[in-house]
Parts: sequence; C-alpha cells; structure tokens
Amino acid sequence: MSTGRAIPFFTVAIVTVAALAASTALLWRDDVALTSVLATGALPSLLLGFMTFAARYLCRAMPLRTTGWGRLLVTHGATATIASTLWIAAWTAAAAGVDTGDAWRPLFILGLLLYLGAVMVHYLMLEVELAREAEEAALRYRVLAREAELRAFKAQVDPHFLFNSLNAVASLCGSRPHDAREMAQKLAEFYRLILRLGSMERITLAEEIDLVTRYLAIEKVRFGDRLTTNIAVDDGAAECLVPPLLLQPLVENAVRHGIASVVEGGAVDIVASLHDGKLRISIDNPADPDRLDAKGEGVGLQNAAGRLRAVSDGKASVHAAEDDGRFHVAIELPR
Amino acid sequence: MIRTIVVDDEQPARELLREFLAAHEDVEIVAECANGFEAVKAAGQHEPDLMLLDIQMPKLDGFEVLSLLDRAPIVVFVTAYDEYAIRAFEVHALDYLLKPVSEERLARVLDRVREQLARPVPPSTGGLAAALRAKPLQRIVVKDDDGSIHVVPIGKVDFVEAADDTIVIATAGNRLRKQQPIGELAGDLDPTRFVRIHRSYLLNIDRLERVELYAKDSRVAILRDGSRLPVSRSGYARLRELL
Repeated sequence: MSTGRAIPFFTVAIVTVAALAASTALLWRDDVALTSVLATGALPSLLLGFMTFAARYLCRAMPLRTTGWGRLLVTHGATATIASTLWIAAWTAAAAGVDTGDAWRPLFILGLLLYLGAVMVHYLMLEVELAREAEEAALRYRVLAREAELRAFKAQVDPHFLFNSLNAVASLCGSRPHDAREMAQKLAEFYRLILRLGSMERITLAEEIDLVTRYLAIEKVRFGDRLTTNIAVDDGAAECLVPPLLLQPLVENAVRHGIASVVEGGAVDIVASLHDGKLRISIDNPADPDRLDAKGEGVGLQNAAGRLRAVSDGKASVHAAEDDGRFHVAIELPR
Repeated sequence: MIRTIVVDDEQPARELLREFLAAHEDVEIVAECANGFEAVKAAGQHEPDLMLLDIQMPKLDGFEVLSLLDRAPIVVFVTAYDEYAIRAFEVHALDYLLKPVSEERLARVLDRVREQLARPVPPSTGGLAAALRAKPLQRIVVKDDDGSIHVVPIGKVDFVEAADDTIVIATAGNRLRKQQPIGELAGDLDPTRFVRIHRSYLLNIDRLERVELYAKDSRVAILRDGSRLPVSRSGYARLRELL
C-alpha cells in the first residue's frame, strides 16, 4: 500500500523534473546564466507537475472500463490543453524579461505529452490497484467459503438423543434417584464439552475420545447390556490434533444405526494408532444389513469426510464399509 | 381392567411407563416387550386391550409390529420423534406420546382409551395394515402359521406370485406365504423396481434376464436364476415402458 500511495508523488516529481529539464534545454543560451533559467522554470514546471496530480482524480472519476472512448479523448484532450496552456502562461509570466522566442511551441507540445503521459501512468496504476483488490476479495471470499463449509460440516448432536436421555432421567427419578442425578450431571457435562470443543480449531484426539466416552456412557444407561465399548488409543495417537467433533457423529451413527438396529446389541470398537506418521482411527460396530434407515445415515459420514477434507487440504481420508453385519469406518489423516 | 402391553427396546423407558401406569388402578400390564418380535408374540398370547408401542426398534419397527397383529388392540405410539405423529394417526393409532413422557399426558391418553373401550362397537382395525405401510415399502414382514416372523428386505425379493387370496414371496431359495391381495402389495412397492408382468405375478426387474416369445401374444420372462414366469400382453407393455 505504501508504494501505491507514493506513486502519484513520484509522477508529480518526474513530470516536474522532465518539464524543467526540457524547458531549460530549450531556453538556455550562452548569454543567460543557467541558474536564472532554472529558477525561472522551477515554478511553472512544478505547476505542471501538480496539474498531472489533479489528473489522477479525473482518471479515478472516469475509469477506463466504464467510460466511452469519445468522452475520454475529449475530456483528457481538453484538460491536457488547459494544463499545457497554463504551463506556457506561467512560463511566459515567470520569464518576463527573458526572450522566449518561438520556444512556446515545443513547450506546449511537451506540456501536452507530459500531461497525457501522466494520465496513462494513472490509469495503469488504477488497473493494478483494481487487480489487487479483486485478488484480495477473492482471498477473503475463499476464507469465508472455507469457514462456511466448516460450519456446515460442524457436527450436530441428534436432538432425539437428548429427548431419549431425558426420558431415561425421568425413569430413573422413580426407581434410582441417585442414578437420575448422575445421568443429569453426565448430560450437562457432555453438552458443555460439545460447546467448548466445538468452538475450537483443533483439539487433541484424547479430548475427542473423552467426549465420545461420555456420550457412550450416557447411551449405556439407555441400552443397558446391549451396548458395550472397547476403546484403544496409542499414547502417540492421543496427542495428535484433530478437528473437534470429528468422531462424535460417527460414534453416534454407530449407536443409532448400528447397536440400535440389532436386537441383542454388541460392541462399539474404537481404535486409534500412528502408522508412518499418519493417524489412523477406526470405528467398528454391528449393524443390521436390513435396517430401515440405511440410506439416511450417510450424513454424519459425509460431514466427517467434508470437514476432514476442509481442514487437511485433501490429505485426509474417510472410508466406510459394511459386511457381514458389521459397519466399519476408517479415518486416516496426516499428523 | 385395561390389559396393556408395553413395548420399548430401552429398559428405562419401559420402567417409566410402568411407574406411571401403576397410578391407574384399572390398568394391568400383562407383558413388557423389548423388541418387535416379542411384541407380536405377546399380543397373540395375551390379546391385550392396549399397546404402548415404541416406534424405533431393532428388526421390526412399531409400524411393522402393528401390521403383523391379527387382532389389533388400541395402539398408542411412544416416540422421541414427533415427525412420526402424523403417520401414527394415519395408521389409526389412538394417540401418541412424546419422550420424555409426561405423566399428565399419559393420564389424558388413558381417558381416551377408556372412552374408546366403553363404546359398544370396538374401533375397526380394517384397512389398518394397508394404511400404515411407509411407501414405497422397504421391507416385507411375514408371520408364519407357527408364529415365527420373517423380515424380507425388498432387494431380496425375486418375484411375488398370487395364489387365491394369499401371495407367495419368492426369494433366493425360499418361499414365504402371506395373507394379502397381490394388488395391494403392488401398490406399496416402488413402481420403478417391481412390475406387474401378469395378473398373478409381480417381478423385481433386477432379476429379469430376458423376455421370450412363447406363443402368439404370449411371452415368458426368464429370470437370472432360470425361473420362467408368464408375461401377459398388458404386463409386457408395462415392462417395455419401464425398460
């Protein structure tokens, strides 16, 4: 930005110096002292320089892209003539007493050319400025789009989880009030954690595992013996940074569409480890291949894949497979 | 006494209903079921007046349970999903309860149940089964004579054959008999996947290998497994339209 703002002053300086040099060359004769010619030309040259500065505002007011050629020619032609005439007039006034002879003709043309040259420089600068602004806008847009994408992919806990859990709390109130209080506490802690982690950029896998462990503990109250869990996370893997709520929707799927679809239930297995500098996480659970909602459950999976893509620049992958009554999701992401 | 069956795959949910129902002296819980299979069996055994039926359950959902009952009791759906509410009324459920279940709401529902039972003519359950199927059908549920229940995903059905007032559902290596008019089933199935190739035959078009001319105006469909089914003239027209 600083060079951009400095350029108009450079233009003024260059035009002034060029005008002064050219007019001095024209008027300097053996019988006149060089210093007196320079002193005479200084002010008119500066005047021309500042008039080119004013041309900048004219250029801004009439952008190349939206202004017709006719209007451009007429306007700049007219202002160039006025500028050059003023510059000659200033010269003549300043040089009172010095014989300027026929020098005004080349001076006039010089004034025209310098002014028009400055106009061209201004247009060039304006174009450069516009291109840079467009680039900045594109960048800003990309950042916004990325944020929107992440927001869209942000995991959402199924609200029915809350309704069902509250139903369980209500049930426990009658028979096991102590457990009811504990369950209410667990629910509050889970949602508090969702809010906290969800607002962060990256969290450790250990934190994410803590979240899903709490989730599974609540579901265990509802499903009883039908739900068991096995979680194995390597020490190295636990320290890895992951986007928050990466596993939560997948584990939710494992319970909602997996365990809940099987009469006798089963185990949700979560394994995370490091391989060749990559973090591998797998979620494995039983699922009835003939369950009714098989189509609708891809959302959690798509969201997880989309969020991973967005935060890893395409370096991470999510694969899902189903066979023999088991559903398996494998995630691989660079450390 | 209102003989009641409570069906929910979550034990705490059953416990809550049991506790709430205990306050109503005229309600007797004759069975508690943890899944749809148990519910169908218990309904056959106990012939209840009322069924509090969860919708989302493994294998057989609440709607499917209802379709398998020979003699439907008054049904009140219990669910966390209020989007089921409209469908619950479509299947002539008396009412529905949203989880978490409110004790007062349950009491009001029971009042309606008492009113319903006091009427000289019990509510008709005719057309119930037809109305409750989600369309297009994703699974066909069949109850054998011996009471065992089969759940057949639509993709596994090769074809359906009509035999008198029953239908035979043909899957790889199995034949299941069901009490239902073939036209009714045809109306519930996805018309882009199942074609009525003959008055008595519904074909899963994924299974079709080719159609051969058999005699003048009479064709035969040859399936991938080699089975041959008759194709009527109008059935052939429907088939051609789809392919």
